Amino acid sequence: MFYLNISAGMHSKAKLYLSIIDDVIDSVRELFLDEGVEDRVLDDLRHLWESKVMQSKAMEGLRKNTNPSNFVLQLPASYTQTDQELTASVVIPGNQNIRSFPVKNNSETLATFSLPAGLAYPVQIPAGVTLQTASGQLYKVNVPVVVTQAPVGQQPATQAMQKVTEWREASAPQPPAIPPNPIPPHEVETSSVPAQSVTQPKTILPSSQEGSLPLQSTEPDFPQEENEPNPQPNLSTTASPCTQLLDFQIRREEALAQMAQSRDIDDILKEVIEEEREKAERAKKLAPVESDSQSEATLGLDLDYSYSQFSDIVQLDGPAGNSDLEEEEEVPLEENDFLGIINAEAMKALQEGNESSDGNSISSSSDGEGADELANIEEEDPLNSGDDVIEQDIPDLFDTDNVIVCQYDKIHRSKNRWKFHLKDGVMCYGGRDYVFSKAVGEAEW
Amino acid sequence: MAYQLYRNTTLGNSLQESLDELIQTQQITPQLALQVLLQFDKAINTALANRVRNRVNFRGSLNTYRFCDNVWTFVLNDVEFREVTELVKVDKVKIVACDGKSESTHNKTDKWQIWAAGSLGVPLWDKVPDGPGLYI
Repeated sequence: MFYLNISAGMHSKAKLYLSIIDDVIDSVRELFLDEGVEDRVLDDLRHLWESKVMQSKAMEGLRKNTNPSNFVLQLPASYTQTDQELTASVVIPGNQNIRSFPVKNNSETLATFSLPAGLAYPVQIPAGVTLQTASGQLYKVNVPVVVTQAPVGQQPATQAMQKVTEWREASAPQPPAIPPNPIPPHEVETSSVPAQSVTQPKTILPSSQEGSLPLQSTEPDFPQEENEPNPQPNLSTTASPCTQLLDFQIRREEALAQMAQSRDIDDILKEVIEEEREKAERAKKLAPVESDSQSEATLGLDLDYSYSQFSDIVQLDGPAGNSDLEEEEEVPLEENDFLGIINAEAMKALQEGNESSDGNSISSSSDGEGADELANIEEEDPLNSGDDVIEQDIPDLFDTDNVIVCQYDKIHRSKNRWKFHLKDGVMCYGGRDYVFSKAVGEAEW
Repeated sequence: MAYQLYRNTTLGNSLQESLDELIQTQQITPQLALQVLLQFDKAINTALANRVRNRVNFRGSLNTYRFCDNVWTFVLNDVEFREVTELVKVDKVKIVACDGKSESTHNKTDKWQIWAAGSLGVPLWDKVPDGPGLYI
């Protein structure tokens, strides 16, 4: 029920947003006509708007949805939008792990299906079945679908929709034995959208269970016309780099929150994640500057990092061809070199047990200016590395600020206890969007 | 006139970006874009008032509060948002809230602006009060 509500919530929110878009576009249509602007421009506006919304919201939704199971559904960027929401679902008959994926209207939503280990590729998906992913997401199949693994491009049949489904076998622990149905190899048809259809490069994917077999599905709109049972819709298997890249992005973000089981691409992702985690750990360790060898090692690492950042910054800042600028570029580089050297020496000195003689020897070995610089640099380092920490954190966190925009009914305060009665709000936090008609909160100041 | 408050949402920002793109390619005029945004304000205010029916609770610690021009701005830390279905925890959240009591607010604001404009140069009183007083 939990997952049902989440998917239902997402669904209703998408509906709400789309209805708002519809209202605005309709009410603006007259204005556009009065100004003498073509209808095409209005359609462009609508497409742009919807695609931006779906990109952000859909990503958020999919991110949540696809955490445990890799659901990536890729739509062509120029995919034409219809007014109706797409609900496509894929049902694997007779298995405990039902997988289905919500069809997203707009461009560049990714949904990858991960098949359980035991599932063979040809999967028949009759209509009316509900799939549940390993993560618990429920999806409903409206149109019977057969997912096959076909050699190369089968041109889409004359369906209104274009589908490219990408199946990906994940080493998901949960999916137990889906009885491998002896289904003949799938053929994936992509039906071309009349207005705009994009056929993605198709490659032959080995049917072995090794490696991830991304199966891109550009699930499109299922207009109500299409509820006719389709005897054998085909989904071509593709492994376009686009999908993998997008998949990579999604997975990467997901993996930050949750360790993803990985194979090929996942292994790469893990490495990236581990790198980022190391950086985060370094950042944490920098805050309390201790004389532990670990922290010093991490400090040293961070100093290297900051040094490279300095050099990056210097290189980026300097425009070409000015002698003065060249000098300026050189000077900070020299300082940075000096910085790196001194810091390394300082680290060694600290590691040797804070022996003052060593510290003095190091400082005395340099010039008088150098000693001053050493002091300055040492003071600057913690500040700079503090900056580095912040800079590191920003990309790790969600880009969206956590903001709530709403109206207040009543704000109450008693001593330092505040009570909030809010209404009609739109919230954005944790990278996701929420809406509420009423919100009640408490806080202590 | 509906609150322009909701322009800084995912929906509002994406609309503004799309309109900016069209303006840059000179497919629409800035005036038209403004009209669209005004229409958006009306539509989203209506939609939120009529089509949304859910309730959220939250609890956290208040970092800052501000009340200016009848707009509350809070920054809360370590907040838990609780809906029937799910619980989300956030380190920091900013709340911007306009007065939900509609009409009276707008009138008050207008009066304030008129008063302020009056103090700048136009004498509001017929005679200056005697003795020590506040001269504007």
